[in-house]
Amino acid sequence: MAKVVATRMSSPVPVDPRLRVAGVQYLNARPLYEGLADEPRVRLQLSLPSDVARRIAEDEADVALMPVAAAAAIGDIRFMRGAAIGARGPVRSVVLVGERPIDELEEVSLDLSSRTSVILSRLILRKLRSASARAGEPRFYGRGPADAIAEVAGKRGALIIGDAALEIEGRFPFVVDLGEAWRDWTGLPFVFAAWCGRAGALSADDERLLLEARERGLARRDAIADAYAAQTDRAPSSLRSYLRDAIRYDFHDAEREGLARFFEEGNRAGLLPKATVRFFDDDRRRAAPQATLDGLLARAADGERLSAAEGERLLTEGGLFDLGLAADAVRKRKHPHDVVTYIVDRNVNYTNVCTTSCRFCAFYRPPGHAEGYVLSREVLRTKLQEVVDAGGVQILLQGGLNPDLPITWYEELFTWIKREFGLGLHALSPEEILHIGQLEKLSTKRVLERLHAAGLDSVPGGGAEILVDSVRRKIAKAKCTSDEWLGVMRVAHHMGLRSSATMMYGTVDTARDRVNHLVKLRELQDETGGFTAFFCWDFQHEKGTRIESGDTGTHLYLRTQAVARLMLDNISHVGASWVTQGPEIGQVALRFGADDFGSVMFEENVVSSAGTTFCMNAEGMEKRIRAAGFKSARRNVRYDWLTEPV
Amino acid sequence: MTTLAEITKKVRAGERLTAEDGLTLFREPDFVTIGQLANEVRERLHGDRTYFNRNMRIEVTNVCMASCLFCSFAKLEEGMPGSHTMKLEEAWRELEIRMDDPPGEIHVVNGLHPGLPFSYYEDLLKGFKRIKPDVHLKCFTAVEIHFFAKHYGMTNEEVLVKLREAGLDSLPGGGAEIFHPDVRSRISNDKATGDEWIEVHRVAHRLGIRTNSTMLYGHIETFDHRVDHLLRLRALQDETGGMQAFIPLAFHPDGNGMKHLPAPTAADDLRTLAVSRLMLDNIPHIKAYWVSSTPKIAQLGLRFGADDMDGTIIHETIYHAAGSSSPQGLSYDELLRLIREAGRTPIERDTLYNVLKEHPREYVPEAAMKVKDRKAGRHLQVVG
Repeated sequence: MAKVVATRMSSPVPVDPRLRVAGVQYLNARPLYEGLADEPRVRLQLSLPSDVARRIAEDEADVALMPVAAAAAIGDIRFMRGAAIGARGPVRSVVLVGERPIDELEEVSLDLSSRTSVILSRLILRKLRSASARAGEPRFYGRGPADAIAEVAGKRGALIIGDAALEIEGRFPFVVDLGEAWRDWTGLPFVFAAWCGRAGALSADDERLLLEARERGLARRDAIADAYAAQTDRAPSSLRSYLRDAIRYDFHDAEREGLARFFEEGNRAGLLPKATVRFFDDDRRRAAPQATLDGLLARAADGERLSAAEGERLLTEGGLFDLGLAADAVRKRKHPHDVVTYIVDRNVNYTNVCTTSCRFCAFYRPPGHAEGYVLSREVLRTKLQEVVDAGGVQILLQGGLNPDLPITWYEELFTWIKREFGLGLHALSPEEILHIGQLEKLSTKRVLERLHAAGLDSVPGGGAEILVDSVRRKIAKAKCTSDEWLGVMRVAHHMGLRSSATMMYGTVDTARDRVNHLVKLRELQDETGGFTAFFCWDFQHEKGTRIESGDTGTHLYLRTQAVARLMLDNISHVGASWVTQGPEIGQVALRFGADDFGSVMFEENVVSSAGTTFCMNAEGMEKRIRAAGFKSARRNVRYDWLTEPV
Repeated sequence: MTTLAEITKKVRAGERLTAEDGLTLFREPDFVTIGQLANEVRERLHGDRTYFNRNMRIEVTNVCMASCLFCSFAKLEEGMPGSHTMKLEEAWRELEIRMDDPPGEIHVVNGLHPGLPFSYYEDLLKGFKRIKPDVHLKCFTAVEIHFFAKHYGMTNEEVLVKLREAGLDSLPGGGAEIFHPDVRSRISNDKATGDEWIEVHRVAHRLGIRTNSTMLYGHIETFDHRVDHLLRLRALQDETGGMQAFIPLAFHPDGNGMKHLPAPTAADDLRTLAVSRLMLDNIPHIKAYWVSSTPKIAQLGLRFGADDMDGTIIHETIYHAAGSSSPQGLSYDELLRLIREAGRTPIERDTLYNVLKEHPREYVPEAAMKVKDRKAGRHLQVVG
């Protein structure tokens, strides 16, 4: 147990020698954990599926019975050999239903509570459709089970999971059982959920304990089914057969192969991060559970998902060149043409009046201050015409939180810009969206809908700073919380708007905070896929700000960007922040994981208020991109190439 | 053409690289890989040790007969706008005003002034030594020594001996530009040739005077010319062993005869440092000259083959006339910080690389530990 004790010692709570087990209260999971309830060596915590993943990620639990898609998203996870919730054919509780053949469906309601099932259903739908020569996917709608069932009609079908699926057995003429469809496709079993945790979290004794509980649980399947039937007023025989015949509780080589295939297909389809199926006892056989830094770097370079702990290790221990070469390998795999993009746009700061008074900002002026401004249409016209004349395709419009500007001001501005100049509008960071919502007493969704209708094309990722609230409270007390920031992006992404993501480090944040920031971005990206690119920079320490800077050297910038490239396996682009680092370091950063060189610079006011001023035109950007050994291409906000790479 | 893998093998075996190897290194697009290889050599030679000194620069005159295309002081005659020749008292005063925190080295580089007597230079050196007898005088490039010899009718040896008697301790490495005549005849055809530059250094080394060496890159020269330049230096060093350091100098285009050319980019700066380290296997130190490349790139250069950051400098003017945006001087603490942020150990040295002070390799905090509170001015301690 020595190794396990060491892992638990690292948790912030006083050492509890019990094995911390997390699980979900699903009927089909009961046979695996029921036998643990009275086990004195175990502390059992039952909660929602999303919370189970969090407990493992944040080291609140040693082992959890977790849906496999959630396990893949954590990175560097180990599974326990011998026990899982799976199927070797029909599973009954995960089904696609419709009034028409499933491959003909054009719309599908999805119960989003199980990402594993959602991904499996999307893979199966693609497979079925390609067999009948239909391209692409149907349109998806997130729905609760009751609505999803009620809406099934014509070309609209539904993915139904769990109890609801058992309840509607026989109701729809067309049903695809996903367990059965998976076996027909791959010839392999499917694993829906399994015991998993961080490497080294489970000793051989712990495994024995869980496997013995499984034995006891399986022997009680009928009793579990009967009790549940009584609670829910169902036929006991159907539930008994569900737990005995449909659900399989094994996890051996065949299941391992099935799960590996699922990870591989999911990753290929862009639905899952790259993940490997490893058992806890693989490590014990190798007797080297603690990966070497080289091994970790090799896995990172290979594009495998890294856990938060691994990211932190890379950020604190990784050598400059090792990180750079690994990040460059990832960049090259994601963007194999060796093309570095840039955009011709202009940063327009429409107002400097702001109510937040962030400690790191030298740009803002409080309302009523003599130096406060709101740009007039005449000034804007000149600036925007210059953008058009320079071949620009968009403007980045950001400003302070000005209490005097109603939403109609933005709507009129956006409409005017679209009408007069036809430029793309990469506008208003989440903080500004929230501010408008508060001012107008509108929901984030409503604000975004109205701005989108007025011409908003995409949301810049500014104001993220570090998405860890303890840091935010110290440097920007009045700003939104990390959940609020992520919430705005979530809504924007679900509406089809794209956004960038950023990180400003080097104030009071630690390496752990930075990695947690990256993990939060990665989680939202798993959910929405709406982030196009990531940029980071260090806090620009100068007169007018009220924070002392830590290490803001070039080495740290390059190492941080490289680790971000390695951690953010699901964000396509990483941009070099030459505006803050200077054109020279910006160029070097292209070999540390970046595939984008950001924007040419007409003007920028926020960073330059803090004393950093760099300018670069398109010629300068292309020259540096080529001198770094790449081809250059202009892009739009969605990273489509607008010019042939040269 | 040799491959990078072959070169890597040679470097690890400590074998000497050929001209062809040098070309491969310059042409490889992935400059980070070249940097990593140079870093291996750098760490084999010096570990994490990174040298710097306290120095000051004085240009006593910018009046110059030569018409180098790359120079923003070219063909400047006495009395023309912008021309300036210090009175000896003015030059000495530069040292006098700094005597409460005096530099260990004075670095003097000038234009080729046709109207000054030789005694001006002798008196200049004697005056410095009078003010601070132990100050190291690293003065006059080989181009100036060559000019003195011709202008005042002496041999190189006579010039050097006289100047040494006046206080000269070593020669800086400037004026090398690009040795190859195809390039040199186009960018600076009226000063010492490559062979003449090398001859001055040869004589200096024979007299026991240490020197540095440089290369001005990033203008009209090709990679062949750069490799040729490095190999000529390597051959001289094989012969005399008198060069302490090599300093690649980036061409800056503002205000000179080649302003139409783009300046080299950071990728080229770092690559050139790295290739220099790999090719010049017999010159102990490679210097990342922060005035030429900016402090940030110089800092990064400490992982691309360089083991020396030059010094505090104080009042650089030559590069600044050509548009350099680097500061004119760095404080001692700023240099320490730059070196430490690069994860290296700062070593204060004198001009001849004697260790004056070994600084501990301190950890630079990853985050500021203090937030300044506006109202109370108290410091909030943040547990990191």
